[in-house]
Amino acid sequence: MSAVTSVLPYAVAAWLFGVGLYGIATSRNFIHLVGCLGVCQAATYVLLLGLGYRWGSIAPIFYDHPPGTPAVDPVMQALVLTDIVVGATLTALLLVLTVQAYKRGGSLDPEKLRPMRAGGKSGRDQGSSRVSEGGQQAP
Amino acid sequence: MSVILPLLFLFTALSGTAVVLVRDPTRQVFAIAINGLVLTILFDALQAPDVALSELAVGSAAVPLLFLVALMAVRTQAPGEDS
Repeated sequence: MSAVTSVLPYAVAAWLFGVGLYGIATSRNFIHLVGCLGVCQAATYVLLLGLGYRWGSIAPIFYDHPPGTPAVDPVMQALVLTDIVVGATLTALLLVLTVQAYKRGGSLDPEKLRPMRAGGKSGRDQGSSRVSEGGQQAP
Repeated sequence: MSVILPLLFLFTALSGTAVVLVRDPTRQVFAIAINGLVLTILFDALQAPDVALSELAVGSAAVPLLFLVALMAVRTQAPGEDS
């Protein structure tokens, strides 16, 4: 087709990636940040499918078409399928880490995140209470 | 057919921008689900029905549910208390 429509998938992918990065950089909430990372992943889906797409061709399923009919690239679709599964797993992992960081640090704001070492205030209090509990249970 | 594909690309860009610009995580869950639906329709228009199916299951159902579970865990649990 025309030049605008052929460049449109790449432009949309670049826009989505840029907007997702902007959201990650300016986010003040970890859960919102994970959602912005999902937008960056959506950019990779659009990029891969836009790479494999051919105008006027069928889906790569040859049940009711003769073999040799022009079809879109099935390899890119397999890559996007893998990408979606990995993205969902990554989202779940990061949300669990967010909940754990909230339990430790008491805030969802990335600016207020304390380093996870013994010098941190909440971490040291929890650690000492856990040690004392363990000492009481041991004998 | 040559009009609907650029339109769907523009919708995808708009819904992704909406996900970023909705700053409240509780409302962002709805934006994520709508983004998953728009991506599903786009993938179907891009002749990728299997990817559209998995995006429908993952992007507009499973991931928003994960966000809801995380929001629930953050709300019901005071910081510093273990499960």
